[in-house]
Amino acid sequence: MDPTQFDQEKLSEIIEKYQEKKWGLIPLLQQIQEEIGFIPPESIEPIADALQMYPAQVQGVITFYAGFSLKPKGRCVLKVCRGTACHVKGSRSILRMIKKDLSLEEGETSPDYQFTLETVACLGACFLAPTMMVNRDYFGKLNPTKVTSVLGEYRKDSKEA
Amino acid sequence: MKNIVLTINGKKVSAPPGTSILTAAEKNGIAIPTLCSHEELAPYGACRICLVEEENSGRLMASCVTPVAPEMTIHTDSPRVKDHRKNIVRLMIAEHPESCIVCNKGNRCELRRVAAELGVAETRLYPMPNHKPFETHNPFIVRDLAKCILCGKCIRADHERVAVGAIDYSDRGFSSRPVTLHEMPLEKSRCTFCGTCVSMCPTGALSTHNTFFTGTPETEETTICGFCGAGCSLSLGVSDNRVVEVNPSPDRDTVNGATLCVRGHFAHDFLLSPERLLHPLVRETDEEGNTRLAPTGFDAALSTVAGRLADIKRRNGEESIGFIGSAKCTNEENYLFQKIARVIFGTNNITSTGAAGGHALIREVAEKTKGTCRVRRLSSLENADAIVAVLSDTDHAVPVAGYHIKRAVKKGAPLVVIDPYRSDLAAFGGVWLHPEKGGKSGAFGIDAINALTARLIAEGGVDRAFMDRYANDEHGWLPAISAKDPDALAKQAGIAPERVKQAASMLKNRKIAFVPPCDLLERQNGKALLDALFNLALITGALGDKNAGIFIPALENNAVGALDMGCAPDMLPGWRKISDASEKESVAAMWEAAIPEKEGKDIHAMIEAAEAGTLKALYIMGENPLRSLPDPERVRGALKKLDFIVVQDILQNRTTELAHVVLPGAAFAEKQGSFTNMEGRIQSFIPVVSPPGDALPDWAILAMLARKAGYPEHYTAIEKIRQEIRRVVPSYTALGSHRQEWVKQNGSEIPDSFPLAPLHTPGTGSEPDEKFPFIAYIGSRRWHLGAGTRTARSARITASGRTGEIEIAPADAMDLGIANDSENGGKPIIRLLSPFGAIERAAAVNQGLPKGHIFVPQGFYGNDAMQIADFNALKPPGSGWRNVRVRIEKM
Ligand code: SF4
Ligand code: SF4
Ligand code: SF4
Ligand code: FES
Ligand code: FES
Repeated sequence: MDPTQFDQEKLSEIIEKYQEKKWGLIPLLQQIQEEIGFIPPESIEPIADALQMYPAQVQGVITFYAGFSLKPKGRCVLKVCRGTACHVKGSRSILRMIKKDLSLEEGETSPDYQFTLETVACLGACFLAPTMMVNRDYFGKLNPTKVTSVLGEYRKDSKEA
Repeated sequence: MKNIVLTINGKKVSAPPGTSILTAAEKNGIAIPTLCSHEELAPYGACRICLVEEENSGRLMASCVTPVAPEMTIHTDSPRVKDHRKNIVRLMIAEHPESCIVCNKGNRCELRRVAAELGVAETRLYPMPNHKPFETHNPFIVRDLAKCILCGKCIRADHERVAVGAIDYSDRGFSSRPVTLHEMPLEKSRCTFCGTCVSMCPTGALSTHNTFFTGTPETEETTICGFCGAGCSLSLGVSDNRVVEVNPSPDRDTVNGATLCVRGHFAHDFLLSPERLLHPLVRETDEEGNTRLAPTGFDAALSTVAGRLADIKRRNGEESIGFIGSAKCTNEENYLFQKIARVIFGTNNITSTGAAGGHALIREVAEKTKGTCRVRRLSSLENADAIVAVLSDTDHAVPVAGYHIKRAVKKGAPLVVIDPYRSDLAAFGGVWLHPEKGGKSGAFGIDAINALTARLIAEGGVDRAFMDRYANDEHGWLPAISAKDPDALAKQAGIAPERVKQAASMLKNRKIAFVPPCDLLERQNGKALLDALFNLALITGALGDKNAGIFIPALENNAVGALDMGCAPDMLPGWRKISDASEKESVAAMWEAAIPEKEGKDIHAMIEAAEAGTLKALYIMGENPLRSLPDPERVRGALKKLDFIVVQDILQNRTTELAHVVLPGAAFAEKQGSFTNMEGRIQSFIPVVSPPGDALPDWAILAMLARKAGYPEHYTAIEKIRQEIRRVVPSYTALGSHRQEWVKQNGSEIPDSFPLAPLHTPGTGSEPDEKFPFIAYIGSRRWHLGAGTRTARSARITASGRTGEIEIAPADAMDLGIANDSENGGKPIIRLLSPFGAIERAAAVNQGLPKGHIFVPQGFYGNDAMQIADFNALKPPGSGWRNVRVRIEKM
């Protein structure tokens, strides 16, 4: 899977939908992020043209929100919580373990675009600390065994895919 | 609405609703420190230095973004406010790098100033310098973003003032900073290097790239930009009698406000060029018959000039001498120059190369509007109801006018751009009318305007009342155009009829501001296009409206003034026609001298007369015809036949090389005088530095010459010339009384009627043919002004590596097998041949050009572009030397 080979037509369709709707920048970016998996840098200028904005402005919005990424991400995006509650419950070792297991540093994506490792300030599920998210699923009360099994599940999926 | 009353520092003040506390305080002489607010930028509230305390609520608020409210009790200086301000500054300084002590912003740094005022010396905080990119590759701007305090002024200047959009914040929190798209260096972004952001930056994060000076200039003085007709007000930083820095002047009510363009901001380093003329030179012949220019004094040089010219006049008659004045010299100088020509040497052979660079348009519009369009403020353009820009080159030729158009559009004015090229303006928004398929290249503008006009008439979108009242349709234009099918006209132009409909619906019943290019009458079919445009302006009632009408950009900074002063073969000062006996007599009476009967020769006729041997001498002031006129070889041949050439200029150039006497003049910054800008604003200025070497202000040289030639009036001071101008030129009665004045219009009333021009059916002009299948346009790029005699001497412009490639349409590049980057990484060299000459240059693909069109930027490579232009196209009424048929040969 090479996410840099994305569906150009789909991208153009999304941009076309928001033609001249300046208010639509965020929903537009969300849709691209959702459907393409990232916001291809070369799409900034067409987006700006369509919305009658400056390309630098569009870039500013993309880089401001953590939810948008200019780089392709892995099939599974891990968000390990580094908030206070989770920290107290040992999230540092959880993170260290995941880093080792995936051979990834924070913010990195594996060369085969299977995994992306990120950290967040609080997932809002402190009662389950320590926590992490993989794509849209929450995992709480993590311990080494659980982490290994979760990662194993996602790895298995990737083989099947 | 009623004013709001509040208390600031115990003082009752009142302010209109919506005023910020900051403004209300400042209006009452209460200063509040600020770092991110600027009167020309929308309120932002980023830095929080302007905090004030409201007593009743106990709240602290940023005064720049908080509007006044009734019964507020504000303290701007309470211990609590000061304490908070101090903490903010401490945090900013903790993030600041240590290189602060050697920063070029020095004592002008606003952060340092605020810190000093608050007494913040040590922060007592853990220093956390924010290491951000340092960029110094381009020759214009140094970006040291470690010193950025995130005030956002640069970004707002870039978006709101110049509407370029090169930069914006990226990221957030500690790592945010102003960056270009994809974080490219500025030179790879859409930045135009206008430097507006540099002048606004409160710290040393953005500064001027200087290779010859470090530190803070000793003094700063205001003058007027020496380049284009916008006439921006500059503040020149001076050290050791050298201009070391330029910023927009802080004066109020200037045309440019806080903006400038790349030439005004960065190209004035030409003043320091080693090629400046320092001493008068007189041609000597040695025993072997070789000649050379040898330095001498003014006295000797001017004796030679007066003697030789008198001699030539005696032997060959008055008609054998010609004078070329300058749209770059002051009003006072041009006035004196034409007077010397007319009164002392008895000839009306006085013109300027403005004849090939924009004078025709200024004259034609003044004539058509009967002088009622002389004053057109750019601030009115910014408030226009609608704008139609036709073949507009403002972004490059007169950038500050371009900013005004873009700001009007940002404020909501509908914009229609008529241009075969996708110019910056066409890409900016609004409706762009361009030939999508078919259409004759040379006639596109007229066809497009006709289509738009017919559509507006069909939809009843014109001002019938105004038209009935003022339009005199002697040629039957209205019935003729009303009979046309708008869609058929659109198709004839190659425009999709839908687009014309869309444009018409935007413009319907609005008062339109029209912006033609400054070189309209140097383009093919320019006159017919102006006719069509004028008719449209007339029937839409634009001519009677303050924020509408025709706004004429002027390429040279005193193009308007030179004409007003009578630097023309058929016009005396104040636009008095020589052919009108009573007008001529009135000037003759004021001068107490006879004025020659016959109209003089224009530039084309002078060169022809030189070729024919009937013109024997030329006195050229502030012009370089060998660089600025079409077909330089022909001009050189003509000049070489002359017995005597005087060149008074500031830089060594090709024309000085041919001269018999060279007189070193002074540049704008080195003398006193006045320029009249494209708006009709007369701006007086005083010297900021002294001229180099023995050089003298041009008016002083002319005054000495007049005296040598035996003229009784002694112009010992500029005021003497001004007195006379005030008397002779009715529209200049206020000249010199203030820093700026306005040309007095021919009465502000509209004349009884304006004649409508006939309907032009285009198809005239040279269309490409088999031998020369492309149509080239020789035009401006912002890096050079006109022929580029001065800008090419700017070390910064030269170092910027702009090479003025010949620009080709993508489809043509494909056909010809020319790619943007050839395999070895260099740009492909091509040969461009016209029926008149050839040039060789690198080629580049311009995505905005339609098939068959070629753009040749002027000013580069010694302005070699003139080699492909046709000299005879200058012959009045002018057939458009800027457009030529060409073919391309790959090298
Ligand atoms: S670079 Fe200067 S103007 Fe721009 S945000 Fe930073 S401090 Fe403000
Ligand atoms: S120099 Fe002018 S165009 Fe460039 S970033 Fe600054 S304001 Fe924008
Ligand atoms: S060249 Fe023209 S636009 Fe640029 S700074 Fe000078 S007067 Fe202003
Ligand atoms: S701290 Fe981890 S979920 Fe709140
Ligand atoms: S000046 Fe008011 S917040 Fe910066």
